[in-house]
Amino acid sequence: MFERTRQWIEVRLGIKEIIDSGLREFYLPRGAGFSSTLGAVALVAFLIQAISGIFLLMYYIPDTAHAFMSVRIIMNKVPYGWLFRSIHMMGSNIILAVLFLHLVVTFYRISYKKPRELTWISGAIMFFLIILFCISGSLLSWNQLSYWSTTIVTYIPTLIPGIGGRIAEFIRGGQYVSGSTLNRFFAFHVAFLPFTLVCMAAFHLFFIGRTGFSTNPGSSPEGDSEPQSVYKREINANGMPFYPDYLLKALVLVMVYLASIFFIMTFFPGLFQPELATVQADPAMTPDVIRPPWYFLAPYQIVKLIPNKFLGISAILILVFIFVFWPFIDGVNERNISKRPLLRVIFILSITVWLILTVWGGY
Amino acid sequence: MVDIDRVGGVLMRIKLVLILILVFSSTALADYRETFEKEFVNKPWVGSKVVEEGVCVDCHTSDVMKPDYLGIPQEWKMSIHYENKVSCHDCHGGNPSDSAVSCGTPHSGFVGIPKYKEVPKMCGKCHIGILKQFNDSKHGKALMTSGRGPNCVTCHGSHKIQKANMNIINKVRCTRCHSYKRAKIMKQALFMTEKRISDINHSIRQLRSSGASTEKAKKMLFRTEAGFRTLFHSVDVSLVKGRTAGFSRKLDVIEGMIADIYKEIRFRKNFSAFLFLLFASLAISAYFIQKNNKN
Ligand code: HEC
Ligand code: HEC
Ligand code: HEC
Ligand code: HEC
Ligand code: HEC
Repeated sequence: MFERTRQWIEVRLGIKEIIDSGLREFYLPRGAGFSSTLGAVALVAFLIQAISGIFLLMYYIPDTAHAFMSVRIIMNKVPYGWLFRSIHMMGSNIILAVLFLHLVVTFYRISYKKPRELTWISGAIMFFLIILFCISGSLLSWNQLSYWSTTIVTYIPTLIPGIGGRIAEFIRGGQYVSGSTLNRFFAFHVAFLPFTLVCMAAFHLFFIGRTGFSTNPGSSPEGDSEPQSVYKREINANGMPFYPDYLLKALVLVMVYLASIFFIMTFFPGLFQPELATVQADPAMTPDVIRPPWYFLAPYQIVKLIPNKFLGISAILILVFIFVFWPFIDGVNERNISKRPLLRVIFILSITVWLILTVWGGY
Repeated sequence: MVDIDRVGGVLMRIKLVLILILVFSSTALADYRETFEKEFVNKPWVGSKVVEEGVCVDCHTSDVMKPDYLGIPQEWKMSIHYENKVSCHDCHGGNPSDSAVSCGTPHSGFVGIPKYKEVPKMCGKCHIGILKQFNDSKHGKALMTSGRGPNCVTCHGSHKIQKANMNIINKVRCTRCHSYKRAKIMKQALFMTEKRISDINHSIRQLRSSGASTEKAKKMLFRTEAGFRTLFHSVDVSLVKGRTAGFSRKLDVIEGMIADIYKEIRFRKNFSAFLFLLFASLAISAYFIQKNNKN
């Protein structure tokens, strides 16, 4: 029966050919390891967020009077609601860790060089989109922690001279974080961001499909390092087939990803839910310590440290600019990082500085 | 090779310098941090803990204040009343938004310093049940008739009032007017129930920090606790003993609720542990499958 159905479909659609030519014969460079599958893990992680998010959407009420209560009902009344909410919440934090790793690997391999600049840029944009996802999503549970960290995060744009206040007001829908902010963030979180992210992901994958996966210059030297002037896909004949080899590798890490979500849920259920997160948001009650979410500590620390508002916000914007357009800023045509001591210093230095700022901002 | 590296190298160095500037410019003006925080915290949209501090506190912390009174706002800021937005004028009366007439003018409802006997009335505006118990008690009657009984401030203080507990009953305070014997019997009568209350409180805190919803149990405990603690003000040991059984039953119910929550949490933990093991073993199997696939 199964065989006949398969046959029926096969005769009409020729799935096998798609698999053979599109996947089996799409080769990755030899020796591509687990680190090359992080992007795929991020993609699956996003799908998990989308699915668990849809379930949350069935019960969530985007209204200041009911938001907190509806989350509480999801956690306590809805059958297995706690499971979906926990997966969604843990996932939103771990997905960032996956993205950080993906980014570090990509940078370390200098994979962003010609012809892959567009892949990098679309990836960088997706990185910011995911952060916006996290910020807008955290407000939705409408607790003290999310209310006040949103207050801080939406404070950052006010540093821009002139229009800064307007921008912040536009984001918040008023002078301070309120019901209109909640509605805005809700619309943003469930409609605008998913759509934009899916478009960006499509571009990202399209770019990768056209250029082929990049080699790891550390283990297998680049075929030719001559500047390339016509379109050419990395063929990697006798490399590693996308299906099944690459997908199996990705599957391993996807399982690891899921296992780590449940690991945290089992052993550290309160990791992302401190005391403050269990109290309904109260605009009249400022908690003793307010700080932004962990992924925002570093930029927050930067604006806090720089002795001038304008310089502070400029620093952030410059850093964002450098990050997004890095492929065009890095002018050296050498893809092996072991031959680029200065880049290595910058690489290690920026990671260390980021970590230091994060820890510093957090205490 | 060298040429390309030089161009790139210059760019790199510019970037490096930029980062260094960003990082180290901070030390130049370290006190900016303070101004930043001050400015930031004073933004209107940040909101403030006490909405109606008003002019009372401003003036009472200023230089015109006599030194004896200067510490009062500071003490009040450490109190449970401050946390619950009970402000100077809630007790002393007066108009907190009008500096010209607020202090010392009777016509705006200003009470000033209450007389010793009038303190229970001042507090009883809000703590109604307690005032009733207190007035019917030997303490209250002694206060009203001879003025020899204690008032609320004797036991709780006036400005730095904290959450009440049994340690208020101690040898120093309760031996000022009579022997400690009666106080001790009273403390013993309260002890078992108090201990259960504090145990339950502890569990609730623990549960909350693990993300469980304890609202219902907490609300019920709050009511029970308030009812029970009111009871002390009767300073009537036999009344306390007689009512203890009733409170004990209520606490049983709350403990039952908490046991249920623990059970649910255990279930969730086991369930996610199961999923963890499931996916961990799937990861391991997938690892070996992909390894074999290569060969
Ligand atoms: C313009 C300054 C000012 C303002 C505003 C003010 N006070 Fe006073 N208050 C004083 C001074 C000065 C004294 C000390 C009088 C003295 O020397 O006995 C005082 C004394 C008091 C006393 C002790 C009364 C007494 O007879 O000694 C109380 C109680 C009091 N203030 C409460 C309040 C309250 C409540 C408010 C707000 C509604 C308030 N004050 C606003 C200046 C002020
Ligand atoms: C919970 C009610 C309450 C609140 C709130 C409160 N007070 Fe009082 N205050 C009292 C009582 C009761 C007394 C008199 C008992 C005593 O001598 O301590 C008093 C006494 C005073 C006195 C006279 C102290 C003395 O040594 O004679 C001053 C001044 C005073 N209060 C100022 C303030 C100010 C300023 C605030 C706000 C920061 C404030 N109070 C808030 C209850 C309160
Ligand atoms: C304006 C109303 C108001 C007045 C007047 C007032 N209180 Fe309170 N009091 C409160 C509120 C609100 C709380 C916090 C809620 C709670 O815990 O019951 C509180 C809490 C307390 C507590 C701690 C209760 C606990 O849970 O352990 C004590 C003790 C207390 N008050 C004593 C006094 C005394 C003594 C006075 C008079 C000097 C006084 N209060 C006057 C409103 C008031
Ligand atoms: C300001 C003086 C004063 C202080 C302080 C005081 N008491 Fe009393 N107490 C009295 C007076 C007056 C009576 C009633 C007269 C009597 O029976 O001797 C009394 C009676 C009692 C009684 C007996 C009631 C009865 O039904 O026989 C108990 C119990 C008691 N106090 C407990 C305490 C405790 C506990 C404290 C400490 C938290 C305390 N008292 C602090 C003045 C005080
Ligand atoms: C003899 C000392 C004494 C006097 C006088 C006294 N209290 Fe208390 N009060 C206590 C003690 C002790 C407790 C704690 C009882 C317990 O832990 O069971 C308490 C508890 C409280 C509580 C906390 C109840 C709760 O919900 O947890 C409040 C509020 C309070 N008192 C207010 C007052 C007021 C108002 C007055 C004046 C009418 C007053 N007290 C007079 C000793 C006193």
